[in-house]
Amino acid sequence: MTPSMDRRTFVRGGLAVGIGALSPGHADARDQLVVATFPGTWNEVHRDILAPYFQKKTNADVTQTIMLATDQVAKLAATRGQPPFDVAILDEGPTLDAIKQGVLEKYPAARSAHFNELLPPFRGEWGPAISMQTIGLAYNPKKIKTPPRSWDDLWNPAYKGRVGLTALNSSLGMAFIVELARLKGGGESNLEPGFRALRTLLPNVGAISANLGAHSALIQQEQVDIAVHNFNFIETLKGKGVDVDWVKPETGAPAWRTNLHIVKGAQRPDLAFEYIEGHITPEVQAAMAKPPHFVIPTNRKVVLGGAIVDKVARTPDELTRLVFHDWTKINEVRAAAIERFTREIKL
Amino acid sequence: MAERRRLDLDALSFRFVVGALSAAAVVVLVAPTVIVLLTSLTASASLRFPPDGLSFRWYRALAGAGQLQRAAGNSLYVAVVATAASAILGTLGALGIARSRSRWSRALDALFMSPLVLPALAFGFAALMAFSLAGIRLSWLTLAVGHVVVCTPIVVRTTVAALAQLDPALLESSASLGATRRYTFRRVTLPLIGRGIAAGAFLAFMASFDNVPVSLFLSDARTEVLPIHLWQIIETNLDVRAAAASGVLIVFTLLVMLLAERLAGLSRQLR
Amino acid sequence: MPARSDGEWRLALPVAAFFALFFVAPLGVLFVVSLFAEPTMQTLALRQYARFLGDRLHLGILADTLVLGVKATLVCLLLGYPLAWVIARARPRVQSLLVFAVILPLLTSVVVRTFAWIVILGRQGILNKTLLAVGLVDEPVRLLFTELGVVIVLAQVQLPLMVLPLLTTFGRIDPNLADASAALGAGQWRTFARIIAPLSLPGVAAGCVLVYAACVTAFVTQTLIGGARLIYVPLFMYQQATGANDWPFAAAIAIVFMFAVLFVVVLINTVGRSRRALVHG
Repeated sequence: MTPSMDRRTFVRGGLAVGIGALSPGHADARDQLVVATFPGTWNEVHRDILAPYFQKKTNADVTQTIMLATDQVAKLAATRGQPPFDVAILDEGPTLDAIKQGVLEKYPAARSAHFNELLPPFRGEWGPAISMQTIGLAYNPKKIKTPPRSWDDLWNPAYKGRVGLTALNSSLGMAFIVELARLKGGGESNLEPGFRALRTLLPNVGAISANLGAHSALIQQEQVDIAVHNFNFIETLKGKGVDVDWVKPETGAPAWRTNLHIVKGAQRPDLAFEYIEGHITPEVQAAMAKPPHFVIPTNRKVVLGGAIVDKVARTPDELTRLVFHDWTKINEVRAAAIERFTREIKL
Repeated sequence: MAERRRLDLDALSFRFVVGALSAAAVVVLVAPTVIVLLTSLTASASLRFPPDGLSFRWYRALAGAGQLQRAAGNSLYVAVVATAASAILGTLGALGIARSRSRWSRALDALFMSPLVLPALAFGFAALMAFSLAGIRLSWLTLAVGHVVVCTPIVVRTTVAALAQLDPALLESSASLGATRRYTFRRVTLPLIGRGIAAGAFLAFMASFDNVPVSLFLSDARTEVLPIHLWQIIETNLDVRAAAASGVLIVFTLLVMLLAERLAGLSRQLR
Repeated sequence: MPARSDGEWRLALPVAAFFALFFVAPLGVLFVVSLFAEPTMQTLALRQYARFLGDRLHLGILADTLVLGVKATLVCLLLGYPLAWVIARARPRVQSLLVFAVILPLLTSVVVRTFAWIVILGRQGILNKTLLAVGLVDEPVRLLFTELGVVIVLAQVQLPLMVLPLLTTFGRIDPNLADASAALGAGQWRTFARIIAPLSLPGVAAGCVLVYAACVTAFVTQTLIGGARLIYVPLFMYQQATGANDWPFAAAIAIVFMFAVLFVVVLINTVGRSRRALVHG
């Protein structure tokens, strides 16, 4: 074969590929909704349960972008009018922030078939609460034989270099330091006792993760043996065969609502509404509440069961008696707390 | 005799040190690839090494991973467009600067090479602000433009190297035989530097397909590309799917590389 | 313009225009934005530079990043130099095989290569399991989320960028020189120190520049292996740019970072050139 033959084939092949790629209809072959999701459990249930349900119902594709709540609000505020995603998923604190920033649409509850099936505290004006997240103690039962009972167990000298913490950019990190402050005589507006306690914990800390998902990876890779973590995330890991279990602390488990919102200026508000509707149907919530994810449902028609009943709350009523913080107050100190954490809490 | 032994010791120790270090280098270079391939074959639901059992379940899972496929499609699309543009721009740029010794062409040379040395992340951010302040909405086109900036220098470099080996006598004799410049370019220059351009285009394609620093700023969820998506699912979930996707990428790279070796003598062009 | 290439330089004009529009202009925008005092970009001031350079935390991040690059580059040199030497003198078959082993990782996705190291460096990873089994350590060593881990991974990820230029340089060194040195009775080490090493300096400088520039901006490797607590400039800038939406501050960080990296690169080049002048002069 002569070189020129080679080249000709090469050029022809290249042209074919090029023309194929440039032909129109590549990007917008189907309707597409872009939604934000959280790492870990959330990413998985949205990908495996909600997205297929939504696709069947609307024949549209879903693209999920994994982003923490605070980052979503920042992104929406920066790209006003041209949001990079149509549905936001926000925890209580960031939701308040987003409302203040004016980046959300009110939820068209009148058009919703399932909004009134939600328990009253979950019927948000700016979007329904699709679940509740709660934090406690995660531990590796193979390495730690006696299950921990209270936050104080994290200070156990036997756990030197084995405790996992996470940064304050997630609600998990924020709720933990607020809870610490509350238990040591401070509160939402006075985090000083919390920071003081954290500093004394440092010798035990083996790693500090960047976000919720990376926090799970710490446990999955057995980088740490005991950590503060979300109930759902640990159940999901357990379902994958990771040696881990979750305990509600004696002093109660801090909890908060997690909401879905239609973003102001969304490219497809119609699809965004359908997506959120899907998330509050009894059908989808029941599927998510099953093992291994145990996502706490907010629709009355879904019966609590499994690990949710064993570890978090036996009745829907008990759900409303977990430890709730005042996120309006937390929002006021959040930025300063994140900055302080970066400066002071170093390994 | 004593002199002889000293020499042997000298040679032996030299060989040992050089040999051991280069063996270590080869292991370090090759091991991660092998480990990713093995990990991707795990049968368990979480990331483990050594794998608990062998299966192709995560490769099968890729078939249902719509978003990952879309990201791969976007990456391919942007890479093809960026490569085509870089190949043309890079060849023109190289032809323009290669045989001139003037101050201008040296300045242009420095300009064309600078994206290779300056932190690409800074350029990605700068481009984001420039587009945004100019009121241009981010799309696959702005992403491709960003990629062209970082890919063109690669083509310029390989093409300039190829031009440097081109004997000027060939061009002169072609001209003296009455060939037009266009004819000389098509029949003499282009075939001789074709391999340089092809090698550059290939490297540009891989650089675009794998680009993170520019895509980090210029792509969003609507134009998500594969490396960013993979980075996200690894950082946030340590998903085994990422291992399977990595396996596919490794095999893909191997195939493209063998092809490039055949067509353009890649390994020779790189040196 | 030389008469011979009459008008050939004009071919570069469209490329120059493209670079002016999409490379130089954005960098100009970057500089202008860095001069604004607040994220809303109303007043001009040098506040952002004072904010970055006047804070020990921020300076620490910059220093950590620059030092990280130096460490990774040195490891690359330590491993890459002998390898390039061996490749250059190997038989053709072995040579092409080794070159293939060098190029494959260069072309494999950085994300993929970094991902592999998460599996290797973890507390229960391959490296720790091996160290424990051999008895070198009593308990797992912390590698993931440590600077040492980042250095190791960066060195591997960027190693091809060191080997390739060195290969070119070794290819140009006349093998007769080494033979002559041996014939005159110099040992291998002596020949290496006196002849090979000085002659290969340009290649070393080229390799170091490429590796260094790549290491300091390696966002993926730095974030995946370094985790949240090891903050280097790229992540910090990214956080300020997209998380905090503080464009002027992020722009100032980018500018300072670019000049710092450029400074080190020029320094490496100067050392490479001056040593060479010493040898020849």
